Amino acid sequence: MTAVTVPVRPAEGASPRPLPWRRMAWVSWRHHRIALGGVVAFLGALAVWLWIAGLQLRHAYAAAAACHPASSGACQNLIAAFQGTSVVLKGGFVLQPVPALIGAFVGAPMLAREIETGTFRYAWTQGFGQRRWALAKLVLVGVAVAAVAGAFSVLVSWYYQPYFASGNGTVFSSPSPLSPGLFDLRGVAFAAWTLAAFAIGALAGMLIRRVVPAIVATLAACAGLAVLAGNVLRQHYLTPLVAKGSNLPGSAWITSEWWTKGGKFAFGGRPRVDLLQQLCPSSFVSGPGGGIAVKGNFSPTTCLVQHGYTQWSDYQPASNFWPFQWIEGGWLLALSVLLIAVTVWLVRRLVA
Amino acid sequence: MTALGIPARLEEDTNPRPLPWRRMAWVTWRHHRIALGGVAVFLGALAVWLWRVGLQLHHAYAAAINCHPAASAACSELVLNFDTIGGILKGGFVLQPVPALIGAFVGPQVLARELETGTFRYAWTQAFGRWRWTLAKLVMLGVAVTAIAGAFGVLVSWYYHPYLAPGRLYSATSPLHHWLFDLRGVAFAAWTLTAFAMGALAGMLIRQVVPAIAATLAGYTGLAVVVGVVLRANYQPASHFWRVQWIEGSGLLALSALLIAVTVWLVHRRAA
Repeated sequence: MTAVTVPVRPAEGASPRPLPWRRMAWVSWRHHRIALGGVVAFLGALAVWLWIAGLQLRHAYAAAAACHPASSGACQNLIAAFQGTSVVLKGGFVLQPVPALIGAFVGAPMLAREIETGTFRYAWTQGFGQRRWALAKLVLVGVAVAAVAGAFSVLVSWYYQPYFASGNGTVFSSPSPLSPGLFDLRGVAFAAWTLAAFAIGALAGMLIRRVVPAIVATLAACAGLAVLAGNVLRQHYLTPLVAKGSNLPGSAWITSEWWTKGGKFAFGGRPRVDLLQQLCPSSFVSGPGGGIAVKGNFSPTTCLVQHGYTQWSDYQPASNFWPFQWIEGGWLLALSVLLIAVTVWLVRRLVA
Repeated sequence: MTALGIPARLEEDTNPRPLPWRRMAWVTWRHHRIALGGVAVFLGALAVWLWRVGLQLHHAYAAAINCHPAASAACSELVLNFDTIGGILKGGFVLQPVPALIGAFVGPQVLARELETGTFRYAWTQAFGRWRWTLAKLVMLGVAVTAIAGAFGVLVSWYYHPYLAPGRLYSATSPLHHWLFDLRGVAFAAWTLTAFAMGALAGMLIRQVVPAIAATLAGYTGLAVVVGVVLRANYQPASHFWRVQWIEGSGLLALSALLIAVTVWLVHRRAA
């Protein structure tokens, strides 16, 4: 017993109330500063790249959009130069894994590391309480990660803007802002996917209790969820519009195509060659080497229309971009909250 | 002391020579079977996907290439049909991170995990000797990972063949194109081995698994960009495919051997 320690102990004993939440921010920062610093460095490096490439892209776009007449050889060269700028970033595929990587490398170690190394025995028996400890860390780090990702996605939206601008008409056959690859990099979706990946990582770490397998599981789960959302869920967010014939706006996201005959469904997707052969046999002859040969300028669409078929398309107009963003952001936020709640509930069960 | 224990101990004591290398194969397998199993499952799932889509792709290619005259609308429909198959697999973009992921998740485990958890104190004081222990593990795992990746690379080469076959269907793609070149031939296995060796060295230097994984992914991306954009000369004729493959493959093999040698030397030097 020294003179220094004696007065301190009674003071602590007289205050058995849990530590304030504000202190947890400091603890979260101390525990996860390397991970958060890594995220900032990673996104910062990507941001520099996007900024440099984006300036070039805008420059090339401005040159191509200002050129008249658009059909001249000089203008075609400028359009080709615009389309050849930063091919790697085009379509957005190279940025698709970013939310999953952040979620896996920040979210999965959140609890798995404490469990794997055994430090949870110390951390979870502090005055703050195991459940609030886990909740505070997950919420604070989750909000920080989502905020950094949100700031980054503003830059991403800026980068891809020229592809969606309608200047000069022929500069770029603009992709639909809803099409997979770009939709979830822009608006609020990017931050929401990052938060969801973080929550998936935290739960995976809690369930698997080992960091590296939890990272792998998170990457796999995020890839699966992204494929499910892009190919199955997203097209059903709002009732699609139906178009008759093939006159659709270029920015429409076509989700399905089918043909009818006499008011009844005939077939979906593209017409089969054997059907065309059956309908318009005079246009087909047997070609060299056993192949199928076609006479002159035969058009499958014309052939089908002549025989009473009608083409239909389900599509989502480009004006649905922001409603879709809020729907996707909303369900991902709800999913993240649910996953974090399950994780915190499991923490309580682990020690209890 | 039991009757069973005594003869066993005497036998061991009279054989103080190091364990044979063959036994290390068993130890390596026991230590890394989950990682190796994970690699096999991951590539197996990708292989099933490639096989199923690849059959459709080859079928559509055969239909389109046999269609005459090529300029007719019906043939254009078949070419369009061929073009729509594959979706995300087209261009090879989605398979680019595969070698990096394998290397990053297997490589750093070899040393960083032992260093992080402290089990190196036990492992490195075995009769086998610490640098031979490291060398045996790295060589065996490296060969195993390379062999699996090589087998997968054969399937990938088969899948992308229609895009590169001579014909009018996909004229834009050269076999030396960035995104396809390093998925085919010997390059895929060589890149996987390089990622593994980078992971092993990163694990030895950083001594923590997760930061070593992140560093491996970053280092690999940097190397792939440098080789793809700067070193590998584009606009080569397609007939140079195999020559460039062997140049890149042997360059990466040499780099991997160097990285593994440096890793083993660092283990040998550490607290010698």
